[in-house]
Amino acid sequence: MGLLSYLKSTILSKWVMAITGCILVLFICGHAVGNLQILLGSDTYNTYAAFLQGLGEILWIIRIGLFVCLVLHLITSIRLKLLNNSARPTAYQYKSFLKAKLTSRTMIWTGIMIFAFLTYHLLHFTAGVTNPVEYDQHEVVINGKSGIAQEIPNDPRILAQLPPTLQTTTVDGKLYAVQEEVKTAETRHDVYKMVVLGFRNPITSLVYIIGVILLGFHLSHAIQSMFQTAGFNHPKYTPWIIQGSNALAVIVVLCLISIPITILTGLVGGTI
Amino acid sequence: MKITLMVWRQKCCKEQGKIEKFVVDNVEEDMSFLEMFDILNERLILEGKDPIAFDHDCREGICGACSMTINGVPHGHEHGTTTCQLHMRKFKDGDTIYVEPFRNKAFPVIKDLVVDRTAYERIMQAGGFVSVATGNAKDANNLPISKENADLAMDAAACIGCGACASSCPNGSAMLFVSAKVGQFALLPQGQPERKRRVLAMIKQMEKDGFGGCTNMYECEAACPKNVSVRFIAKMNRDYLRASLFTKSK
Ligand code: HEM
Ligand code: FES
Repeated sequence: MGLLSYLKSTILSKWVMAITGCILVLFICGHAVGNLQILLGSDTYNTYAAFLQGLGEILWIIRIGLFVCLVLHLITSIRLKLLNNSARPTAYQYKSFLKAKLTSRTMIWTGIMIFAFLTYHLLHFTAGVTNPVEYDQHEVVINGKSGIAQEIPNDPRILAQLPPTLQTTTVDGKLYAVQEEVKTAETRHDVYKMVVLGFRNPITSLVYIIGVILLGFHLSHAIQSMFQTAGFNHPKYTPWIIQGSNALAVIVVLCLISIPITILTGLVGGTI
Repeated sequence: MKITLMVWRQKCCKEQGKIEKFVVDNVEEDMSFLEMFDILNERLILEGKDPIAFDHDCREGICGACSMTINGVPHGHEHGTTTCQLHMRKFKDGDTIYVEPFRNKAFPVIKDLVVDRTAYERIMQAGGFVSVATGNAKDANNLPISKENADLAMDAAACIGCGACASSCPNGSAMLFVSAKVGQFALLPQGQPERKRRVLAMIKQMEKDGFGGCTNMYECEAACPKNVSVRFIAKMNRDYLRASLFTKSK
Protein backbone atom coordinates (compact mmCIF):
# COMPACT_ATOMS: atom_id res chain seq x y z
CA MET A 1 0.00 0.00 0.00
CA GLY A 2 2.85 2.36 0.87
CA LEU A 3 1.65 5.87 0.15
CA LEU A 4 -1.99 4.97 0.69
CA SER A 5 -1.40 3.41 4.13
CA TYR A 6 -2.78 6.60 5.71
CA LEU A 7 -6.21 5.24 4.72
CA LYS A 8 -6.00 2.85 7.68
CA SER A 9 -6.41 5.75 10.06
CA THR A 10 -9.62 7.76 10.01
CA ILE A 11 -7.91 10.86 11.40
CA LEU A 12 -5.06 10.80 8.88
CA SER A 13 -7.70 10.25 6.19
CA LYS A 14 -9.46 13.36 7.44
CA TRP A 15 -6.23 15.30 7.22
CA VAL A 16 -5.83 14.18 3.61
CA MET A 17 -9.43 15.25 2.92
CA ALA A 18 -8.74 18.64 4.43
CA ILE A 19 -5.39 19.27 2.70
CA THR A 20 -6.51 18.11 -0.75
CA GLY A 21 -9.83 19.92 -0.23
CA CYS A 22 -8.00 23.12 0.73
CA ILE A 23 -5.91 23.02 -2.46
CA LEU A 24 -9.08 22.45 -4.50
CA VAL A 25 -10.79 25.36 -2.72
CA LEU A 26 -7.88 27.68 -3.49
CA PHE A 27 -8.02 26.54 -7.10
CA ILE A 28 -11.77 27.06 -7.37
CA CYS A 29 -11.48 30.61 -5.99
CA GLY A 30 -8.82 31.42 -8.59
CA HIS A 31 -10.82 29.68 -11.29
CA ALA A 32 -13.94 31.71 -10.43
CA VAL A 33 -12.15 35.05 -10.40
CA GLY A 34 -10.18 34.23 -13.55
CA ASN A 35 -13.25 33.29 -15.54
CA LEU A 36 -15.25 36.23 -14.28
CA GLN A 37 -13.04 38.21 -16.69
CA ILE A 38 -15.40 37.07 -19.41
CA LEU A 39 -17.56 40.01 -18.29
CA LEU A 40 -14.72 42.32 -19.39
CA GLY A 41 -15.01 41.24 -22.98
CA SER A 42 -13.41 39.02 -25.56
CA ASP A 43 -9.93 40.51 -25.67
CA THR A 44 -9.28 40.44 -21.92
CA TYR A 45 -10.68 36.95 -21.62
CA ASN A 46 -8.77 35.47 -24.52
CA THR A 47 -5.56 37.14 -23.36
CA TYR A 48 -6.07 35.50 -19.95
CA ALA A 49 -6.71 32.14 -21.63
CA ALA A 50 -3.61 32.55 -23.79
CA PHE A 51 -1.60 33.45 -20.69
CA LEU A 52 -2.67 30.18 -19.02
CA GLN A 53 -1.83 28.19 -22.15
CA GLY A 54 1.49 29.98 -22.33
CA LEU A 55 2.48 28.66 -18.91
CA GLY A 56 3.50 25.46 -20.66
CA GLU A 57 5.13 23.02 -18.23
CA ILE A 58 3.91 25.02 -15.24
CA LEU A 59 0.34 24.53 -16.44
CA TRP A 60 0.94 20.80 -16.57
CA ILE A 61 2.44 20.76 -13.10
CA ILE A 62 -0.66 22.56 -11.80
CA ARG A 63 -2.97 20.22 -13.70
CA ILE A 64 -1.25 17.10 -12.43
CA GLY A 65 -1.19 18.46 -8.87
CA LEU A 66 -4.91 19.20 -8.96
CA PHE A 67 -5.63 15.82 -10.48
CA VAL A 68 -3.69 14.04 -7.73
CA CYS A 69 -5.57 16.06 -5.09
CA LEU A 70 -8.90 15.20 -6.67
CA VAL A 71 -8.11 11.50 -6.91
CA LEU A 72 -6.85 11.32 -3.31
CA HIS A 73 -9.91 13.30 -2.15
CA LEU A 74 -12.21 10.91 -4.01
CA ILE A 75 -10.55 7.66 -2.90
CA THR A 76 -10.36 8.80 0.71
CA SER A 77 -13.96 9.98 0.83
CA ILE A 78 -15.27 6.69 -0.54
CA ARG A 79 -13.19 4.64 1.86
CA LEU A 80 -14.37 6.79 4.82
CA LYS A 81 -17.99 6.56 3.70
CA LEU A 82 -17.86 2.76 3.50
CA LEU A 83 -16.28 2.59 6.95
CA ASN A 84 -18.81 5.01 8.43
CA ASN A 85 -21.72 3.11 6.93
CA SER A 86 -20.48 -0.12 8.44
CA ALA A 87 -20.32 1.45 11.91
CA ARG A 88 -24.14 1.45 12.17
CA PRO A 89 -25.46 -1.79 10.67
CA THR A 90 -28.98 -1.32 12.12
CA ALA A 91 -30.51 2.05 11.36
CA TYR A 92 -32.70 3.96 13.78
CA GLN A 93 -36.42 3.62 13.05
CA TYR A 94 -36.99 7.20 14.12
CA LYS A 95 -34.50 9.56 12.51
CA SER A 96 -33.82 12.96 13.92
CA PHE A 97 -30.91 15.38 13.63
CA LEU A 98 -30.09 18.18 16.02
CA LYS A 99 -27.02 19.76 14.46
CA ALA A 100 -26.11 17.69 11.42
CA LYS A 101 -27.22 19.78 8.45
CA LEU A 102 -28.35 18.59 5.05
CA THR A 103 -25.09 19.91 3.58
CA SER A 104 -22.90 18.03 6.06
CA ARG A 105 -24.85 14.79 5.72
CA THR A 106 -24.70 14.77 1.92
CA MET A 107 -21.00 15.55 1.37
CA ILE A 108 -20.31 12.27 -0.39
CA TRP A 109 -23.32 12.67 -2.70
CA THR A 110 -22.67 16.29 -3.62
CA GLY A 111 -19.01 15.28 -4.04
CA ILE A 112 -19.75 12.44 -6.43
CA MET A 113 -22.10 14.63 -8.46
CA ILE A 114 -19.41 17.31 -8.61
CA PHE A 115 -17.02 14.67 -9.90
CA ALA A 116 -19.47 13.71 -12.66
CA PHE A 117 -19.98 17.37 -13.53
CA LEU A 118 -16.25 18.00 -13.51
CA THR A 119 -15.66 15.14 -15.94
CA TYR A 120 -18.23 16.63 -18.31
CA HIS A 121 -16.77 20.12 -17.86
CA LEU A 122 -13.27 18.94 -18.80
CA LEU A 123 -14.54 17.00 -21.83
CA HIS A 124 -16.58 20.04 -22.85
CA PHE A 125 -14.19 22.98 -22.56
CA THR A 126 -10.72 21.55 -21.94
CA ALA A 127 -10.63 18.58 -24.30
CA GLY A 128 -13.37 19.70 -26.72
CA VAL A 129 -14.77 16.20 -26.97
CA THR A 130 -18.47 16.81 -26.39
CA ASN A 131 -18.94 19.80 -28.73
CA PRO A 132 -16.03 19.76 -31.20
CA VAL A 133 -17.54 22.36 -33.57
CA GLU A 134 -18.10 24.99 -30.87
CA TYR A 135 -14.72 24.17 -29.38
CA ASP A 136 -12.85 24.82 -32.64
CA GLN A 137 -12.81 28.64 -32.55
CA HIS A 138 -9.78 30.74 -33.41
CA GLU A 139 -9.13 34.42 -33.74
CA VAL A 140 -6.36 36.35 -35.45
CA VAL A 141 -4.19 38.63 -33.38
CA ILE A 142 -2.37 41.35 -35.31
CA ASN A 143 0.30 43.38 -33.49
CA GLY A 144 -1.06 41.99 -30.21
CA LYS A 145 -4.59 43.19 -30.92
CA SER A 146 -7.57 41.01 -31.64
CA GLY A 147 -10.61 41.90 -33.72
CA ILE A 148 -8.85 44.26 -36.15
CA ALA A 149 -8.31 41.78 -38.97
CA GLN A 150 -11.03 40.76 -41.38
CA GLU A 151 -10.91 37.53 -43.33
CA ILE A 152 -11.22 38.02 -47.09
CA PRO A 153 -11.52 35.46 -49.87
CA ASN A 154 -8.31 34.76 -51.76
CA ASP A 155 -9.78 35.95 -55.06
CA PRO A 156 -7.65 38.16 -57.39
CA ARG A 157 -10.71 40.18 -58.50
CA ILE A 158 -11.58 41.16 -54.93
CA LEU A 159 -7.96 41.79 -54.04
CA ALA A 160 -7.67 44.17 -57.00
CA GLN A 161 -10.53 46.27 -55.64
CA LEU A 162 -9.11 46.65 -52.14
CA PRO A 163 -8.32 50.25 -51.11
CA PRO A 164 -4.54 50.82 -51.04
CA THR A 165 -4.55 51.69 -47.31
CA LEU A 166 -5.40 48.09 -46.44
CA GLN A 167 -2.65 45.61 -45.71
CA THR A 168 -3.13 41.93 -46.29
CA THR A 169 -1.54 39.07 -44.42
CA THR A 170 -1.82 35.31 -44.47
CA VAL A 171 -2.20 33.45 -41.20
CA ASP A 172 -2.71 29.68 -41.10
CA GLY A 173 -3.45 29.63 -44.81
CA LYS A 174 -6.21 32.25 -44.63
CA LEU A 175 -6.05 35.76 -46.01
CA TYR A 176 -6.81 38.77 -43.80
CA ALA A 177 -7.14 42.48 -44.43
CA VAL A 178 -5.88 44.92 -41.77
CA GLN A 179 -5.93 48.72 -41.48
CA GLU A 180 -2.39 49.04 -40.11
CA GLU A 181 1.06 47.82 -40.89
CA VAL A 182 1.41 44.17 -39.85
CA LYS A 183 4.33 43.56 -37.50
CA THR A 184 3.19 40.33 -35.86
CA ALA A 185 0.38 38.05 -36.87
CA GLU A 186 -0.80 34.91 -35.10
CA THR A 187 -3.93 32.96 -34.27
CA ARG A 188 -5.10 31.93 -30.82
CA HIS A 189 -7.91 29.82 -29.43
CA ASP A 190 -11.03 31.99 -29.23
CA VAL A 191 -12.08 30.78 -25.81
CA TYR A 192 -14.57 33.61 -25.48
CA LYS A 193 -16.50 32.52 -28.53
CA MET A 194 -16.30 28.87 -27.51
CA VAL A 195 -17.77 29.63 -24.08
CA VAL A 196 -20.46 31.91 -25.47
CA LEU A 197 -21.57 29.39 -28.09
CA GLY A 198 -21.41 26.62 -25.49
CA PHE A 199 -23.63 28.41 -22.99
CA ARG A 200 -26.12 29.56 -25.63
CA ASN A 201 -27.47 26.02 -25.33
CA PRO A 202 -29.89 26.26 -22.39
CA ILE A 203 -29.44 22.61 -21.46
CA THR A 204 -25.67 22.95 -21.23
CA SER A 205 -26.12 26.09 -19.14
CA LEU A 206 -28.58 24.33 -16.87
CA VAL A 207 -26.13 21.48 -16.28
CA TYR A 208 -23.46 24.01 -15.32
CA ILE A 209 -25.78 25.96 -13.03
CA ILE A 210 -26.83 22.78 -11.22
CA GLY A 211 -23.24 21.55 -11.00
CA VAL A 212 -22.07 24.84 -9.51
CA ILE A 213 -24.91 24.96 -6.98
CA LEU A 214 -23.99 21.44 -5.84
CA LEU A 215 -20.42 22.66 -5.48
CA GLY A 216 -21.78 25.48 -3.32
CA PHE A 217 -23.50 23.02 -0.99
CA HIS A 218 -20.28 21.02 -0.74
CA LEU A 219 -18.20 24.11 -0.01
CA SER A 220 -20.50 25.61 2.61
CA HIS A 221 -19.78 22.67 4.89
CA ALA A 222 -16.32 21.86 3.53
CA ILE A 223 -14.55 25.12 4.23
CA GLN A 224 -15.51 25.34 7.89
CA SER A 225 -15.01 21.59 8.30
CA MET A 226 -11.46 21.96 7.02
CA PHE A 227 -10.59 24.22 9.95
CA GLN A 228 -12.00 21.76 12.48
CA THR A 229 -10.10 18.86 10.90
CA ALA A 230 -6.90 20.85 10.98
CA GLY A 231 -7.44 21.39 14.68
CA PHE A 232 -8.55 24.98 14.63
CA ASN A 233 -11.62 25.47 16.80
CA HIS A 234 -11.89 28.46 19.06
CA PRO A 235 -15.07 29.88 20.60
CA LYS A 236 -14.05 33.34 19.49
CA TYR A 237 -13.34 32.56 15.85
CA THR A 238 -15.30 29.44 14.94
CA PRO A 239 -18.66 31.25 14.55
CA TRP A 240 -16.96 33.58 12.07
CA ILE A 241 -15.36 30.69 10.23
CA ILE A 242 -18.80 29.11 9.80
CA GLN A 243 -20.25 32.39 8.51
CA GLY A 244 -17.24 32.90 6.27
CA SER A 245 -17.53 29.39 4.89
CA ASN A 246 -21.15 29.96 3.90
CA ALA A 247 -20.35 33.39 2.48
CA LEU A 248 -17.40 32.15 0.42
CA ALA A 249 -19.51 29.29 -0.95
CA VAL A 250 -22.21 31.75 -2.03
CA ILE A 251 -19.65 34.09 -3.62
CA VAL A 252 -18.04 31.25 -5.60
CA VAL A 253 -21.46 30.09 -6.78
CA LEU A 254 -22.54 33.60 -7.81
CA CYS A 255 -19.29 34.23 -9.70
CA LEU A 256 -19.49 30.97 -11.59
CA ILE A 257 -23.20 30.94 -12.44
CA SER A 258 -23.10 34.55 -13.56
CA ILE A 259 -21.25 33.32 -16.68
CA PRO A 260 -23.97 31.05 -18.17
CA ILE A 261 -26.66 33.46 -16.98
CA THR A 262 -25.18 36.56 -18.60
CA ILE A 263 -24.58 34.60 -21.80
CA LEU A 264 -28.11 33.15 -21.88
CA THR A 265 -29.59 36.61 -21.39
CA GLY A 266 -27.34 38.07 -24.09
CA LEU A 267 -25.49 40.43 -21.74
CA VAL A 268 -22.23 38.73 -22.63
CA GLY A 269 -21.35 37.76 -26.19
CA GLY A 270 -24.60 39.14 -27.59
CA THR A 271 -22.85 40.39 -30.73
CA ILE A 272 -21.45 37.01 -31.78
CA MET B 1 -50.70 12.22 30.94
CA LYS B 2 -51.25 9.50 28.39
CA ILE B 3 -48.10 8.51 26.52
CA THR B 4 -47.81 6.01 23.68
CA LEU B 5 -44.43 4.31 23.67
CA MET B 6 -42.99 2.59 20.63
CA VAL B 7 -40.26 0.50 22.23
CA TRP B 8 -37.60 -1.68 20.63
CA ARG B 9 -37.95 -5.26 21.90
CA GLN B 10 -35.25 -7.82 21.27
CA LYS B 11 -34.94 -11.07 23.23
CA CYS B 12 -31.18 -11.33 22.92
CA CYS B 13 -28.23 -10.27 20.85
CA LYS B 14 -28.67 -12.72 18.00
CA GLU B 15 -32.43 -12.45 17.58
CA GLN B 16 -34.33 -10.06 15.32
CA GLY B 17 -35.94 -7.22 17.23
CA LYS B 18 -38.98 -5.12 16.49
CA ILE B 19 -40.87 -2.08 17.72
CA GLU B 20 -43.70 -2.84 20.17
CA LYS B 21 -46.42 -0.40 21.16
CA PHE B 22 -47.36 0.34 24.79
CA VAL B 23 -49.86 2.87 26.07
CA VAL B 24 -49.08 4.27 29.52
CA ASP B 25 -52.03 6.16 31.05
CA ASN B 26 -51.00 7.27 34.48
CA VAL B 27 -47.85 9.27 33.64
CA GLU B 28 -47.21 12.26 35.87
CA GLU B 29 -45.33 15.36 34.80
CA ASP B 30 -42.81 15.04 37.63
CA MET B 31 -41.80 11.53 36.73
CA SER B 32 -38.49 10.98 35.04
CA PHE B 33 -38.39 9.10 31.76
CA LEU B 34 -37.07 6.04 33.58
CA GLU B 35 -39.83 6.20 36.21
CA MET B 36 -42.34 5.97 33.41
CA PHE B 37 -40.62 2.75 32.35
CA ASP B 38 -40.73 1.57 35.98
CA ILE B 39 -44.52 1.84 36.17
CA LEU B 40 -44.89 0.28 32.73
CA ASN B 41 -42.67 -2.60 33.82
CA GLU B 42 -44.60 -3.09 37.07
CA ARG B 43 -47.74 -3.44 34.98
CA LEU B 44 -46.07 -5.85 32.55
CA ILE B 45 -44.89 -8.00 35.48
CA LEU B 46 -48.41 -8.09 36.97
CA GLU B 47 -49.74 -9.09 33.57
CA GLY B 48 -47.18 -11.92 33.51
CA LYS B 49 -45.29 -10.40 30.55
CA ASP B 50 -41.61 -9.83 30.06
CA PRO B 51 -40.64 -6.38 31.42
CA ILE B 52 -38.60 -4.08 29.20
CA ALA B 53 -34.89 -4.34 29.96
CA PHE B 54 -33.09 -0.99 30.25
CA ASP B 55 -29.85 0.22 31.81
CA HIS B 56 -29.80 2.58 34.79
CA ASP B 57 -27.84 3.11 37.95
CA CYS B 58 -27.36 6.47 39.66
CA ARG B 59 -30.46 8.17 38.23
CA GLU B 60 -28.85 11.51 38.91
CA GLY B 61 -26.98 12.06 35.68
CA ILE B 62 -23.48 11.08 36.79
CA CYS B 63 -22.90 7.42 35.98
CA GLY B 64 -23.80 7.32 32.30
CA ALA B 65 -25.59 3.98 32.57
CA CYS B 66 -28.97 5.03 31.22
CA SER B 67 -28.94 4.57 27.48
CA MET B 68 -32.10 5.12 25.50
CA THR B 69 -32.47 6.74 22.12
CA ILE B 70 -35.60 8.85 22.48
CA ASN B 71 -37.21 10.02 19.25
CA GLY B 72 -33.97 9.46 17.39
CA VAL B 73 -31.66 11.23 19.84
CA PRO B 74 -29.66 9.49 22.60
CA HIS B 75 -31.03 10.80 25.93
CA GLY B 76 -33.75 12.65 24.02
CA HIS B 77 -33.98 16.12 22.52
CA GLU B 78 -33.57 17.97 25.83
CA HIS B 79 -30.16 19.65 25.76
CA GLY B 80 -27.46 18.53 28.21
CA THR B 81 -29.67 15.98 29.99
CA THR B 82 -29.34 12.26 30.62
CA THR B 83 -32.38 10.00 30.18
CA CYS B 84 -32.67 9.58 33.95
CA GLN B 85 -32.84 13.36 34.37
CA LEU B 86 -35.34 13.87 31.58
CA HIS B 87 -38.75 14.67 33.01
CA MET B 88 -42.10 13.89 31.50
CA ARG B 89 -43.13 17.55 31.70
CA LYS B 90 -40.99 18.00 28.59
CA PHE B 91 -43.61 15.94 26.70
CA LYS B 92 -47.26 16.59 25.98
CA ASP B 93 -50.28 14.50 26.88
CA GLY B 94 -51.00 12.15 23.99
CA ASP B 95 -47.43 12.14 22.62
CA THR B 96 -46.06 9.09 20.84
CA ILE B 97 -42.42 8.49 21.70
CA TYR B 98 -40.00 6.13 19.95
CA VAL B 99 -37.51 4.47 22.28
CA GLU B 100 -34.66 2.50 20.75
CA PRO B 101 -31.34 1.21 22.07
CA PHE B 102 -28.08 3.09 21.40
CA ARG B 103 -27.21 1.82 17.94
CA ASN B 104 -23.69 1.01 16.91
CA LYS B 105 -21.77 -1.93 15.54
CA ALA B 106 -19.49 -1.55 18.57
CA PHE B 107 -22.46 -1.57 20.99
CA PRO B 108 -24.29 -4.87 20.39
CA VAL B 109 -27.77 -5.16 21.88
CA ILE B 110 -27.91 -7.48 24.89
CA LYS B 111 -31.64 -7.26 25.44
CA ASP B 112 -34.33 -4.70 24.54
CA LEU B 113 -32.76 -1.33 25.33
CA VAL B 114 -29.61 -2.67 26.99
CA VAL B 115 -26.43 -2.55 24.92
CA ASP B 116 -22.91 -3.75 25.62
CA ARG B 117 -20.70 -0.69 25.92
CA THR B 118 -17.45 -2.38 26.90
CA ALA B 119 -16.00 -0.99 23.66
CA TYR B 120 -15.60 2.33 25.52
CA GLU B 121 -13.85 0.53 28.35
CA ARG B 122 -11.45 -1.12 25.91
CA ILE B 123 -10.61 2.33 24.58
CA MET B 124 -9.91 3.51 28.15
CA GLN B 125 -7.76 0.45 28.82
CA ALA B 126 -5.75 1.22 25.69
CA GLY B 127 -4.47 4.51 27.11
CA GLY B 128 -6.98 6.49 29.15
CA PHE B 129 -4.77 6.66 32.24
CA VAL B 130 -1.52 7.98 33.66
CA SER B 131 0.78 5.05 34.43
CA VAL B 132 3.12 6.62 36.97
CA ALA B 133 2.06 6.44 40.59
CA THR B 134 1.65 10.07 41.57
CA GLY B 135 1.80 9.51 45.34
CA ASN B 136 0.01 11.65 47.88
CA ALA B 137 -1.62 14.95 47.09
CA LYS B 138 1.10 17.58 46.73
CA ASP B 139 1.09 21.12 47.88
CA ALA B 140 -1.41 22.85 45.63
CA ASN B 141 1.07 25.29 44.12
CA ASN B 142 3.87 22.80 43.45
CA LEU B 143 2.61 22.17 39.98
CA PRO B 144 1.36 25.36 38.39
CA ILE B 145 -1.57 24.84 36.00
CA SER B 146 -3.25 27.78 34.35
CA LYS B 147 -6.84 28.43 35.27
CA GLU B 148 -7.84 28.17 31.58
CA ASN B 149 -6.29 24.73 31.22
CA ALA B 150 -7.67 23.52 34.53
CA ASP B 151 -11.16 24.61 33.48
CA LEU B 152 -10.85 23.06 30.03
CA ALA B 153 -9.54 19.80 31.47
CA MET B 154 -12.52 19.82 33.81
CA ASP B 155 -14.90 20.36 30.86
CA ALA B 156 -13.37 17.33 29.14
CA ALA B 157 -13.51 15.28 32.31
CA ALA B 158 -17.25 15.96 32.54
CA CYS B 159 -17.66 13.10 30.04
CA ILE B 160 -19.49 10.21 31.72
CA GLY B 161 -18.72 7.75 28.91
CA CYS B 162 -22.39 7.02 28.27
CA GLY B 163 -22.00 6.35 24.53
CA ALA B 164 -24.43 9.02 23.35
CA CYS B 165 -21.83 10.63 21.07
CA ALA B 166 -21.15 7.50 19.04
CA SER B 167 -24.84 6.59 19.04
CA SER B 168 -25.99 9.98 17.80
CA CYS B 169 -23.25 10.34 15.19
CA PRO B 170 -24.53 9.46 11.71
CA ASN B 171 -21.12 7.80 11.20
CA GLY B 172 -21.17 5.94 14.51
CA SER B 173 -17.96 7.71 15.49
CA ALA B 174 -16.70 7.78 19.08
CA MET B 175 -14.46 10.79 18.48
CA LEU B 176 -16.13 13.04 21.07
CA PHE B 177 -15.64 10.46 23.82
CA VAL B 178 -12.04 9.68 22.86
CA SER B 179 -11.18 13.34 22.42
CA ALA B 180 -12.55 14.16 25.88
CA LYS B 181 -10.52 11.38 27.46
CA VAL B 182 -7.39 12.28 25.50
CA GLY B 183 -8.01 15.98 26.06
CA GLN B 184 -8.29 15.90 29.84
CA PHE B 185 -4.75 14.48 30.08
CA ALA B 186 -3.29 16.50 27.23
CA LEU B 187 -4.15 19.69 29.13
CA LEU B 188 -2.44 18.70 32.37
CA PRO B 189 1.25 18.17 33.20
CA GLN B 190 0.68 14.62 34.43
CA GLY B 191 -0.56 13.63 31.00
CA GLN B 192 2.48 14.85 29.04
CA PRO B 193 4.92 11.89 29.20
CA GLU B 194 2.44 9.52 27.58
CA ARG B 195 0.67 12.08 25.44
CA LYS B 196 1.63 10.77 21.99
CA ARG B 197 1.44 7.11 22.89
CA ARG B 198 -1.98 7.64 24.48
CA VAL B 199 -3.67 9.29 21.52
CA LEU B 200 -2.30 6.73 19.08
CA ALA B 201 -3.34 3.77 21.24
CA MET B 202 -6.83 5.04 22.03
CA ILE B 203 -7.61 5.90 18.41
CA LYS B 204 -6.26 2.55 17.27
CA GLN B 205 -8.57 0.77 19.69
CA MET B 206 -11.49 2.97 18.62
CA GLU B 207 -10.95 1.97 15.01
CA LYS B 208 -10.47 -1.68 15.91
CA ASP B 209 -13.84 -1.71 17.65
CA GLY B 210 -15.54 -0.62 14.44
CA PHE B 211 -16.48 2.97 15.24
CA GLY B 212 -16.69 5.29 12.25
CA GLY B 213 -14.74 8.44 11.49
CA CYS B 214 -15.67 12.03 12.25
CA THR B 215 -17.03 14.21 9.42
CA ASN B 216 -17.66 17.26 11.61
CA MET B 217 -21.45 17.11 11.67
CA TYR B 218 -21.41 17.90 15.41
CA GLU B 219 -24.41 15.72 16.19
CA CYS B 220 -22.40 14.31 19.14
CA GLU B 221 -22.01 17.71 20.77
CA ALA B 222 -25.74 18.33 20.48
CA ALA B 223 -26.61 14.95 22.02
CA CYS B 224 -23.95 14.92 24.76
CA PRO B 225 -25.66 15.06 28.16
CA LYS B 226 -22.55 16.73 29.59
CA ASN B 227 -22.12 19.33 26.82
CA VAL B 228 -18.62 18.20 25.93
CA SER B 229 -17.46 20.45 23.09
CA VAL B 230 -16.18 19.36 19.67
CA ARG B 231 -13.22 21.64 20.40
CA PHE B 232 -11.63 18.57 21.95
CA ILE B 233 -11.93 16.73 18.64
CA ALA B 234 -10.08 19.56 16.91
CA LYS B 235 -7.36 19.42 19.58
CA MET B 236 -7.08 15.67 19.23
CA ASN B 237 -6.77 15.90 15.43
CA ARG B 238 -3.67 18.02 15.98
CA ASP B 239 -2.31 15.75 18.69
CA TYR B 240 -2.87 12.69 16.55
CA LEU B 241 -1.11 14.11 13.50
CA ARG B 242 1.86 15.17 15.60
CA ALA B 243 1.99 11.78 17.29
CA SER B 244 1.80 9.90 13.97
CA LEU B 245 4.52 12.00 12.41
CA PHE B 246 6.92 12.15 15.33
CA THR B 247 6.63 8.89 17.23
CA LYS B 248 9.53 6.53 16.77
CA SER B 249 8.07 3.23 17.96
CA LYS B 250 4.94 1.89 16.30
C1 HEM C 1 -14.34 14.18 -6.70
C2 HEM C 1 -15.40 14.75 -6.21
C3 HEM C 1 -15.53 14.98 -4.74
C4 HEM C 1 -15.93 14.08 -3.80
C5 HEM C 1 -16.37 12.65 -4.02
C6 HEM C 1 -15.87 14.75 -2.52
C7 HEM C 1 -16.26 14.19 -1.32
C8 HEM C 1 -16.08 14.79 -0.11
C9 HEM C 1 -16.53 14.26 1.15
C10 HEM C 1 -17.29 12.96 1.34
C11 HEM C 1 -16.13 15.11 2.12
C12 HEM C 1 -16.38 14.98 3.60
C13 HEM C 1 -15.21 14.24 4.17
C14 HEM C 1 -15.19 14.31 5.64
O1 HEM C 1 -15.70 15.28 6.20
O2 HEM C 1 -14.63 13.38 6.22
C15 HEM C 1 -15.44 16.20 1.49
C16 HEM C 1 -14.86 17.25 2.15
C17 HEM C 1 -14.29 18.33 1.54
N1 HEM C 1 -14.31 18.60 0.18
FE1 HEM C 1 -14.86 17.33 -1.25
N2 HEM C 1 -15.43 16.02 -2.71
C18 HEM C 1 -15.21 16.21 -4.06
C19 HEM C 1 -14.78 17.36 -4.69
C20 HEM C 1 -14.39 18.51 -4.03
C21 HEM C 1 -13.98 19.74 -4.68
C22 HEM C 1 -13.99 19.98 -6.19
C23 HEM C 1 -13.63 20.60 -3.68
C24 HEM C 1 -13.13 22.01 -3.75
C25 HEM C 1 -13.42 22.85 -4.66
C26 HEM C 1 -13.79 19.92 -2.42
C27 HEM C 1 -13.49 20.45 -1.20
C28 HEM C 1 -13.66 19.81 0.00
C29 HEM C 1 -13.20 20.30 1.26
C30 HEM C 1 -12.46 21.61 1.52
C31 HEM C 1 -13.59 19.38 2.23
C32 HEM C 1 -13.41 19.51 3.74
C33 HEM C 1 -12.45 18.50 4.31
C34 HEM C 1 -12.68 18.35 5.77
O3 HEM C 1 -13.79 18.06 6.21
O4 HEM C 1 -11.73 18.55 6.53
N3 HEM C 1 -14.26 18.65 -2.65
N4 HEM C 1 -15.42 15.99 0.12
S1 FES D 1 -28.66 6.52 35.41
FE1 FES D 1 -26.75 7.37 35.91
S2 FES D 1 -26.59 8.92 34.40
FE2 FES D 1 -28.58 8.19 34.05
